[in-house]
Amino acid sequence: MNQQPETILAAQDVRLCYRRRSGFLKWFEHTALASISFELKRGEILGILGRNGCGKSTLLRLLAGLIEPTSGKIICDMQTRRALLTLGLGFRPDLSGRDNALLSAMLQGATKGKALETLQGIHEFSELGAFYDQPVKTYSAGMRARLGFATAIKTEVDVLLIDEVLSVGDVNFKKKPKRRCWRGSPVSRQWCLFLIVSNR
Amino acid sequence: MHLFRFFSLVNTQAKMNLKAEASRFILSYLWWVIEPLLFVLIFYLVFDILLNNGRADFLLFLTCGKIPYLWFSKSVTSASNSIVQNKGLIHQIDMPKALFPYVSVQEALYKQWAVFLVLFSVVMYYGYRPELNWLWLIPVMVVQYGLILACSLLGALCVSFVGDFRMIIAMGMMFLMFTSGIFWDINAIANPVLRDLMLTYNPIAFLIDAYRQVLMERSLYDLKHLAALGGVVLVALFAMHGVLHKASKLIASKVMNS
Repeated sequence: MNQQPETILAAQDVRLCYRRRSGFLKWFEHTALASISFELKRGEILGILGRNGCGKSTLLRLLAGLIEPTSGKIICDMQTRRALLTLGLGFRPDLSGRDNALLSAMLQGATKGKALETLQGIHEFSELGAFYDQPVKTYSAGMRARLGFATAIKTEVDVLLIDEVLSVGDVNFKKKPKRRCWRGSPVSRQWCLFLIVSNR
Repeated sequence: MHLFRFFSLVNTQAKMNLKAEASRFILSYLWWVIEPLLFVLIFYLVFDILLNNGRADFLLFLTCGKIPYLWFSKSVTSASNSIVQNKGLIHQIDMPKALFPYVSVQEALYKQWAVFLVLFSVVMYYGYRPELNWLWLIPVMVVQYGLILACSLLGALCVSFVGDFRMIIAMGMMFLMFTSGIFWDINAIANPVLRDLMLTYNPIAFLIDAYRQVLMERSLYDLKHLAALGGVVLVALFAMHGVLHKASKLIASKVMNS
């Protein structure tokens, strides 16, 4: 008998409003998301498409557990490790790719020992070559995206949320996530989902 | 986050930040020693040569006050901005917000070792030799470190909610600089009630006086006072951790929308 894959991440009637100060005693209020409900199971890959400003990135922040919805619920086990990849964020430009990978791996939950062990794997997966030991400020947008993606893959997070990161990678590298997930590699069995957001 | 992993991350990130900072300057890590040496040199020029203060050991007196004060003010000021400055990371990973001020304070602590070496060199230049009594500085430094952490966590929380707190913190540091007995001796206040009030309600004044008691007077500060201060600092640290943990998502939301 086939076992149903477990639900790893779910949204229940999620609504998010925010208020931003626009001047002295002036506030701007906006409802970014309303009535969002869905369920994602282990092994599923989901893409979200929408025009600019429709709330895709906000939804990812909610799913990553960075912020809380105004109403409704995001259901995710406490032990589930979630990582959000956003283009150009999270790297220290003065540090090398290797140092940034070490910090990212530790921030994503790895111990220092485990993070050090994964550095070689991140180097190979990112295809950065000699640039791996150069400061990230010398990287192109695509190289930064590769470093972020390789770090998330090699630290084996449970939920990988990608906010347009791969839109700047080259053609070969864009195929890597699919290969990693669908060819039955050990990584794909551990992963639960892969959420990609794009405005195209 | 597990406590060991938290502190391992704090330490690694602090070392990386120092490495990044050092890579921006030609003189790299040498600035850790050059900066406090320049401070002492400026004090010497202004107070010993230009103003010709009557006190023969005024430079030593000033250095014993200014260096501990600088540790406090630099740490708290940079840590207060740390959550807001790490907006990029807050956009990506849900992590304890206390991490950022801790990293800033740890960075300052690493630099402080070099600064204290400069302080001890000045003390020895004035004819004082290292002695066992100097070990009484360790409890003072530990309590000061705790005080720096507690104030940094509070400052970082306030700045992440209302950016205007940066200005208030800067003004507060200036107020502390003039009221903590850096340029003048707190024991010279004629009114004993006022002097006790200053030492009780201004922990920086008490700590600076404690450094001077050990290094210049070869005596011991009020141990009970230090223990009481340490207790207050410990309670404040626990309270701030609780608040930051509870408000973690709210802080993230504020920082992202700022």
